[in-house]
Amino acid sequence: MKLIFKALLVSSMGLMATACVSTPVPKYQPSVENSSLILQARPVMDVGAFTASDGVQNRKLSMRGSSLQGGSDGTYATYLRDALIAELQISGGYIPGHDLRMDGQLVRNALNVAGVKTGSAEVGARFVLRRKGQIVYDKTLQSRHEWKSSFIGAIAIQAGIDNYGTTVQKLIGQLLADPEFIAATKTTASE
Amino acid sequence: MTAFFRGLRIAGLMAAACLTLSGCLSMKFYVDPALPLVSKGELLPPPSPQPAHVLFEFRTKGNANTSATSELKGQAIAAVAESGLFSSIAPAADDRTAGQLKITIDNVVITDNAAAKGFGTGLTFGLAGSQVTDGYVCNVEYVHGGKTTSTTVKHALHTTIGNHSAPMGLTAMPARDALNQIVQQMIWNALKDLNKQNAFAKE
Repeated sequence: MKLIFKALLVSSMGLMATACVSTPVPKYQPSVENSSLILQARPVMDVGAFTASDGVQNRKLSMRGSSLQGGSDGTYATYLRDALIAELQISGGYIPGHDLRMDGQLVRNALNVAGVKTGSAEVGARFVLRRKGQIVYDKTLQSRHEWKSSFIGAIAIQAGIDNYGTTVQKLIGQLLADPEFIAATKTTASE
Repeated sequence: MTAFFRGLRIAGLMAAACLTLSGCLSMKFYVDPALPLVSKGELLPPPSPQPAHVLFEFRTKGNANTSATSELKGQAIAAVAESGLFSSIAPAADDRTAGQLKITIDNVVITDNAAAKGFGTGLTFGLAGSQVTDGYVCNVEYVHGGKTTSTTVKHALHTTIGNHSAPMGLTAMPARDALNQIVQQMIWNALKDLNKQNAFAKE
C-alpha cells in the first residue's frame, strides 16, 4: 500500500508543480478616473527615482506558493514610477528634465490572496515634489483594496494579479485628487 | 490480481485521468443575440466632428482588470475610430478642445447568483441557465465643453463547456472573435445612443 501512496503522491506533486509559477506584474493601465483627473488638472513634471523603504517587499509578492514579480526592472518601486508616468502621459504631462520633479519611496507593499473569500492589497508611498530642488509637496499616501477571492488557487491567484494594479491605481488616484498636490503643481518657484 | 496491483492500477488510472482531463473539456462561445447589431451607416457623423481622448478600462465585477484592459484597449479604440464620429481619437496631449470619451466595460458573471441570473434571463429571454453566461455592462460617458452625456449598454456571452448543446439558434465562434464582436457592438450601440442625444454636436 505504501507504494500506492507514493505513486499517488508523485502524481499529485507533478500536477501541483505546474501551478507554482512566478509571473511578472502586468503592465500598468491608467484608470478612467485617474486619466480624467489628469486631463482636468494637467500637471506637468519630470518623474525621478523611486526607491523602497527597508523591509518593504520590493521584488516579489507571495501568492499561495506562486509569486508576482515587480515591474520593468523587477522592482515594485519602478512599477509605481512607471504607473505615474503612464498616467501623466495621457495629457502629455511627463517632461523629462522639467523644473518640477516627483520622487517617491515605496513604504508599504502587500498582497494577500490566502483568504478563500476575500483578497486584499495595500500599497503606500511617500511622494516628494520638488521645484528646482525645493520641496513643494511631501506626503505619504496609502491605498487598500479588497476583492472577492476563491477557494480555488488558480482563480485566487489570477484575481490577485489583476487587483494589484487596481490598488496602485487607487494610490495614484489619491495623489491626483489631493488639492495640495494640484496646488503644488501650479505654484511657480517665485511664489 | 492482488490488492497491491489493483491499487497500483487505480492510482495510475487516476493520475492519467487527471493529466488528460483538461484536454477533454472543450469550450464553445456564443454571442447573445439580444443587442441590436449597429452598422456604420447608422452612425451619422455630426456636421463638424470634434477630436476626443478615448479613455478605456475593462473591469471584472467592478474592479479594474489591467490584463484585460491591456488586451482589449486597442479593439475599443479601433471601434471608436471606425465609427467616424470624431475628427481624431489621438488629439495632441495638450489639446484642451478635445472631448473625453470614457468607456468602461464591466464583466459580470451572470450565473454567480440569483440576482444576476435574473439579469441574464431578462436580457437573453431565457437563454441563460444551462450554460455559463457572462454579462457585460458598458458605460460610456462623453464630456465636452462642460456638458456630460452618458449611456449604458448590456451584452452577454454564453459559454458551453464539454458535451453541451448549443444555445438555440446560435452559432459557436472563436473566443477572440466573440469578444471582439461584443466590444465593438457595445461601443457602437452606445455611440449611436449618445449621437441621438446630440452629444457630439458642436456647441
